[in-house]
Amino acid sequence: MNVRRLIGLVARNLRQSRVRALLAMIGIVVGTGLLVFFIGLGQGLRERVLNRIFPVNQLEIEPRAVQVFGTEQHVGQEPLDDSRVAQVARLPGVTRAFGKQKSSFPARLWGGKELIGYNLFTEAFFDGMPVAMVRRELEEFEDLPAKLRTAARRKPQRCDVDLDCAPGSTCRDAACGAVVYAERFDESTAIVLPCASDVECVGNATCLAGHCTPRTTAGLSTAESPQRCLLPLPAGNGRDLEFANEVGVLAHACVEAAGIDGWCKTPGKTCPPQQYCAADHPDTVLGWCEAPLPAVLNPLLLEVYNSDMAHSLGGVPIASVAALYGIRFHVALGDSYFSQDAARVRQQFKQAILVGFSRKAPELGVALPLGLVRHFNARYRGPDAARSYDAVLIETRDNETIPQVVAGAESLGFQLSRKSRAARTFGTVVLVVSLALILLAGVVLAVAATQIAQTFAMLVHERRREIAILRAIGAAQRDVAVLVLGEAAVIGAVGGLLGALLARAAALAVDAAAHALLQHVPLVPEGFFVFPWWSELLAVAVALLFCTAGALGPSRRASRLDPATVLAQS
Amino acid sequence: MNDVVLVARDLRRSFAAEGEVVCALRGVDLRIERGESVAIVGRSGAGKSTLLNLIGALDRGYEGELRVFGQELKSLQDRELARFRNRQIGFVFQSFNLLPHLSVGENTMLPAYFGSRLDEGETRRRAHQLLADMGLDERFDHPPMQLSGGERQRIAVARALLLEPPLLVCDEPTGSLDAKTAEEILLLITGLQQRHGTTIVVVTHDPQVAARAGRIVTLDRGRIVPEAA
Repeated sequence: MNVRRLIGLVARNLRQSRVRALLAMIGIVVGTGLLVFFIGLGQGLRERVLNRIFPVNQLEIEPRAVQVFGTEQHVGQEPLDDSRVAQVARLPGVTRAFGKQKSSFPARLWGGKELIGYNLFTEAFFDGMPVAMVRRELEEFEDLPAKLRTAARRKPQRCDVDLDCAPGSTCRDAACGAVVYAERFDESTAIVLPCASDVECVGNATCLAGHCTPRTTAGLSTAESPQRCLLPLPAGNGRDLEFANEVGVLAHACVEAAGIDGWCKTPGKTCPPQQYCAADHPDTVLGWCEAPLPAVLNPLLLEVYNSDMAHSLGGVPIASVAALYGIRFHVALGDSYFSQDAARVRQQFKQAILVGFSRKAPELGVALPLGLVRHFNARYRGPDAARSYDAVLIETRDNETIPQVVAGAESLGFQLSRKSRAARTFGTVVLVVSLALILLAGVVLAVAATQIAQTFAMLVHERRREIAILRAIGAAQRDVAVLVLGEAAVIGAVGGLLGALLARAAALAVDAAAHALLQHVPLVPEGFFVFPWWSELLAVAVALLFCTAGALGPSRRASRLDPATVLAQS
Repeated sequence: MNDVVLVARDLRRSFAAEGEVVCALRGVDLRIERGESVAIVGRSGAGKSTLLNLIGALDRGYEGELRVFGQELKSLQDRELARFRNRQIGFVFQSFNLLPHLSVGENTMLPAYFGSRLDEGETRRRAHQLLADMGLDERFDHPPMQLSGGERQRIAVARALLLEPPLLVCDEPTGSLDAKTAEEILLLITGLQQRHGTTIVVVTHDPQVAARAGRIVTLDRGRIVPEAA
């Protein structure tokens, strides 16, 4: 029997038994619907929740700790230095590995006035990160290629200062160009690192004239020396200098401060573009011209702000991370809301500028270039605090190699960080729950298959005479079996498609309900479902499989009917 | 060309029923030539339908020898047997046996769906021609249940003839029809036999139907009753 004629006969048979066919289809629709729904949910939870909080192909490991009275202690271990990071980088499956150093000094920060009308104050925690570790991600978040393409299409414009250029552009090499925040996350940013002795300077720098100066093979760096400046005198007592520093861009005070000539390198001029006057310590108006600290935040912070904080702080939600680039906030290093950790003359009040977003940045903290955090650790906690890393961030070739990488790292004396352990646990929970739910869908499908079997057994019984007639006019046993299985296949295909559509509709409904009910809950994604391209195909394939499996017995019985007997009985 | 359509020698068929073996045919010898019309008559339970099912290749659980167009039927596999039925034999049943969910045209074309080499166009052309010969072409797209008994039986005949089989097997073809319609159907069948030389085997209780056949074979308790000299 050719396919076209088979389809024609199947269609007519199903039309004749449409009520039974529809009833038999219900189970298949529900089963495949549940299957697709749970696949979409599992994939959605992984991609939109898990991978957002814990990026894919990324692990954080730290030296193995022992539990001492319920706390993790790193006892008697060799320092986590560059050679150990290099060991990790050589593990099979590892594409890149970077050391990461956390701040061990007290700090606090405040800012946000531009966003919500007043400043927020908090303790500050920093992660020092190698530039190479986050540069690619910074460029992706900033959508740098598109930005540069747009800038390239603009008419070339000469300039002397930023003000000569259009908003969003900067003056560089006497020509206006796009502001590229990602490139500001750089170890060599013009930041003055005050010091009292060489031990406070890290790397190849030495303490010279009160600040760390890089040492080159030919001697001290020939780079331009930092420029001295003066802050405006405070209106009130000395403590108000903290607020004076907020307007530190008014570094022209350097020029106007009579009696302290010589501190300004070029009298009559302010600090260079994109720099401000940072006081040596909170109780002085004497400072250095320097760039703000390049800060990188985790984009989850924006989600937390939008979902909860914006509402409770009286601010407005921020549409995207793009609105936050260039925002400045203030940092007090060596100072804390909990204790006066460092003498005031050792404290530094600095500005920081938001130059990008990275999922590698701490969720409740700020990422700075590694060299800066090392310097501050050395300055406030001594040189030992700057020598070793706290953790190693690993990028793996793919998710499949992660167990192998973990095993390798463990053999080197590492363990997963708390964050990565949580990621693995969450991932396992999502996987197990997804599998359990898919199993449930499988049970529903199995029940549906028995329903299909019963329906077809009944249909075959009702159509015994019809089958006998077909056999009499030339249908072989196989033709009869194919006819019955064809009907089951059509029920399966249609049921599978309807099930997939039902799953999509249910997903939309769940997302809409979640959107309405969970709008103030942080980290709730736009949608909980991601349907892989193959989910509909799988639904149809599974429905076909279960339907034909269910109809297999009845089709065999139909094909074995003895036409002579049936026709004699009828 | 071989003119023998059917040869049966010592043909026996028995069935197990309620723990007993019932012998429906007890050694039938029969020979039918090409173009013959043979009526098989006998009382109920004489084995007429059993013999017809064997001749029509619907049943191959027999003993003895049964060759139709030179082919020993019990030696054929299911597919071969199905193809044999499809190409060599046309069936006309007492109760028409049309499929109610197919149209008149589709019922007529049904034999071409299985193992036939006819393409869709040729199948349709033949169906229209046959139905036109039967005066039913305008009913091509109608459901058969809207038609009278006589019309339905004519459709059944058209279906049986679609693939131009050399052997037509009819089981009480007029049993469900009134006398006038039965006469029409008989004329149709005998006309076929005369025009195309189709061999016809008819099982009937009706003496008038039997009288139209060229030869009458009487069965009694599974055996052929010898013809009177």
